[in-house]
Amino acid sequence: MEQPAAAAAVAAEKEGMAQGEDLLHQFERILDHDLLIDEVGFLHPTQFQSLDCSQTGNSTSESHEYTQEYLWCRDHKLAISSEVLPKLYRAARHAYSNSATVKDAALLEPDLMSHSKALLILCPDMLTAWNSRKMVLSVSYDFTKLKDELQLCTMILSYSPKNESTWSHRRWVIKKVSEHHQDMSGLIERESLLVKEIAEKSKMNYRAWRHRCWLISYMTREQVLDELKKSARWNELHVADNCCFHYRRSLLLALLDSRCIEGENSLDYKSEVHLLWKEELRWNEMLIRRYQGRESLWIHRRFLSQWWVKFLLSGEEMECCAAGISLVDLFLSQEIYLLSDCLNVPADEFGEACIQAELAALYILWISKQVPAVKPQLEERLHSLGSLEDVLARACPERSRLWTHLIA
Amino acid sequence: MFTGSTRPTHRRVRDSAPLAVGDSLERRAAASSLLAGFGSSTLRAKLLVPPARAMGEGGELAAEKHVRYIVTVEKKKDSFESLVMEHIRLNGAYWGLTTLDLLHKLDAVDAGEVIQWIMSCYHPESGGFGGNVGHDPHVLYTLSAVQVLCLFDRLDVLDVDKVADYVSGLQNEDGSFSGDIWGEVDTRFSYIVICTLALLHRLHKINVQKAVDYIVSCKNLDGGFGAMPGGESHAGQIFCCVGALAITGSLHHIDRDLLGWWLCERQCKEGGLNGRPEKLADVKFRCPFLKLFMFFITLSWHHRFD
Repeated sequence: MEQPAAAAAVAAEKEGMAQGEDLLHQFERILDHDLLIDEVGFLHPTQFQSLDCSQTGNSTSESHEYTQEYLWCRDHKLAISSEVLPKLYRAARHAYSNSATVKDAALLEPDLMSHSKALLILCPDMLTAWNSRKMVLSVSYDFTKLKDELQLCTMILSYSPKNESTWSHRRWVIKKVSEHHQDMSGLIERESLLVKEIAEKSKMNYRAWRHRCWLISYMTREQVLDELKKSARWNELHVADNCCFHYRRSLLLALLDSRCIEGENSLDYKSEVHLLWKEELRWNEMLIRRYQGRESLWIHRRFLSQWWVKFLLSGEEMECCAAGISLVDLFLSQEIYLLSDCLNVPADEFGEACIQAELAALYILWISKQVPAVKPQLEERLHSLGSLEDVLARACPERSRLWTHLIA
Repeated sequence: MFTGSTRPTHRRVRDSAPLAVGDSLERRAAASSLLAGFGSSTLRAKLLVPPARAMGEGGELAAEKHVRYIVTVEKKKDSFESLVMEHIRLNGAYWGLTTLDLLHKLDAVDAGEVIQWIMSCYHPESGGFGGNVGHDPHVLYTLSAVQVLCLFDRLDVLDVDKVADYVSGLQNEDGSFSGDIWGEVDTRFSYIVICTLALLHRLHKINVQKAVDYIVSCKNLDGGFGAMPGGESHAGQIFCCVGALAITGSLHHIDRDLLGWWLCERQCKEGGLNGRPEKLADVKFRCPFLKLFMFFITLSWHHRFD
C-alpha cells in the first residue's frame, strides 16, 4: 500500500530536479548572453508578475531581453522569482558539485565557471565556489577573465553590498592584476568610484569602506591628494557616516607616511600636507557648526587636533605670532571658543544642541588627555567657563562615570 | 560577519565555584582563566545568560522554548534560508550547541551524531574543517569544530597536531593570519587561530610575538582595533584583537583608558550598544561587549560603563 506513495514521491522529486535543471539552463543562458548585467533582484511572485511582460518568447543575443515564467532580464537588470529560488539553488549546487569533482578538471572548466557563477549569484557566501574560480583563474594570467570576475563581483554587490566573500574575492583579483601590471591607477580609480557608488546606497558599509582604505596602498601620492579633494563634497552630504571620515583620515595618514619615507618632517610648514591639514581643520569646524551633534565630525576633529597640537608643540620655539602668543595657545583659544559656542547653543526639540555640547566637552577632554603637555594651558583658557570638570558636569552629566575617571 | 566562530572559547571548569566579582582573590582567578582563553561555564551563565529561573515579573527566560527552537531549526534543511546557509552550518552548530550548553541542555542532542557529522567536515589532507560536508577548509569553521568538540570533551577524535599545523601554517611573514590558502588577512583570523591553538594547547606552533606585533599594529589612535592596520575601529574587531592579546598574555599593549573610553561611547542614550560611532544600537553587540566587559573587570575599568 505504501509503494505507490513512495513511487509518487520519487517521481515528484525527479520532476522537481528536471525543472530545476531546466531553470538553471535558462538562467545560465541569460548570464552568458548578457555580460553586462549589473543588477539582480529576487522578487516575490506578485512583484515578478507586475514586471513588464510585453516582450515574450526567447532571448536573442542582440536584444538581451528575456521574459519567462520565473526569470526576466532587460537593460542589464535580472529578476528571479523567489518562488523558484530553492529549486534553482539546488540545481546550481548539484551542477557545481558535479563539475568540481571531475578528475580531468581542465575539460570541464567552462562548466565549472558557469555553474559556480550561477551558484554565487544565488549564494554569494559560498566560499568553496569562489575558491574554484580562483583555482581556474590561477592556471594562467588572463586580464580579460579577471575583468569579468570584477564584473561578477559588481553584480553581486549590487544586491549584497556587505558580502564579505565578494569583497575578499575582489581583492584577490586586484592583487593578481597588480602582480602583472605596473600601472594600476586606472583600476584603482574605478574601484574607489565603485565603493563610493555602493556607499551611496549602503550607508556606513564597513566592508565597502575597508576595501576603499585597502586601495590606498596602491595609490600614488597624486591619487591620494585627488581622492581627498574629490571625496570632500561627498562627506559634506554624509556627515553622519563615520566610515567616510575614517577614509579621509587614512588618506591624510598616507600623505604623512609618504613624507616620512622621503625623510621630511611630516607637517612641515612649507609642505602641502601642512596646508591641507589646516584647511581640513577649518572645513571640519565649518561642518561642526552647521550640523549639530554629529559624532563623526567631532571624532574627525579629535584626530586632526591631536596631530596638529603635537606638531605645533614640536616647532614651538620657532614660531610665534605677532602678539607674542604661541601658535599652540592660539589654536587652543580657538578650540575653547568653539566649545563656548557649542555650550551656548539654545536647546532644540531634537536634543542636538545637547549632544553638541556633550561632544564639544569630551573633545576638550580628549586633547587634554592625548596631549598632556597642553593640559595646563587648556585649563587656563577654560577659566571663564569654569574648570574642565565643571564643563563636563554641565555638558555630559550622563557620562560622569567616564570622565570622572579620565580626569583623575 | 560575526558568526559563532569569533566567539571566545570556553571549557568546562567542572569543579569551579560561582565566582563573586568583587572578591579580589577570585577576581584574579577569573582574570587568569580569561587570559588563558577559558571561562567558567558557571561564571558565564551568571554574567551572560541568567539561569532559567524567574528574574522578576515577566522576566523569566523561556529556556525550554529556546531549546526546542534550536533542536527543530537544526532539522529544517529545505527552506531557501536554510539552503543558502548550509556552507556555514558548522558555525551554526557551535552557536546552537553553546546555547544548549549554557541552558544546561546539551543532552537534547545526540553527541555521537553531532561529532560524526563534524568529522565529516574534516579535510584530512590539510587538517582544516569546512563549513559543511564537501566545503573547502577555512579557519572560521576549524575553530567552530574545535569548540564544539570541546563542548563534548571529545578532542580525542582529532589529529590535534594536524589541525594545529593547518591553522598555524596560515601565519604570514608579518605575523598576520590568512583565513585559508587564498590569502585574505583579517585580525579576526588572528584571534581565531590563537583561540584554536590555545584550546589544543599548541600555541607554540606560531610565532606568538609576531602575531602580537601585528595585532598591535592594527591599534588605532582612538585605542580601538580594525581589521587591518589603519582599519576603522569596530567593536567586533576589537573583541577579536583584545581576545587574542588576552590569550597570549599581551594585554599590556592595550591603552586601557583610551579603549575603555571608546567602548563607553558605544553606549547609546537608551542604554543599548552600537559597534561604531553613529550606528544604531544592535543586540548583536551585547555579547562581544559583555566579553570585553569581562576583560575590563580584570583591568578595573568595569565601573565606567553604565
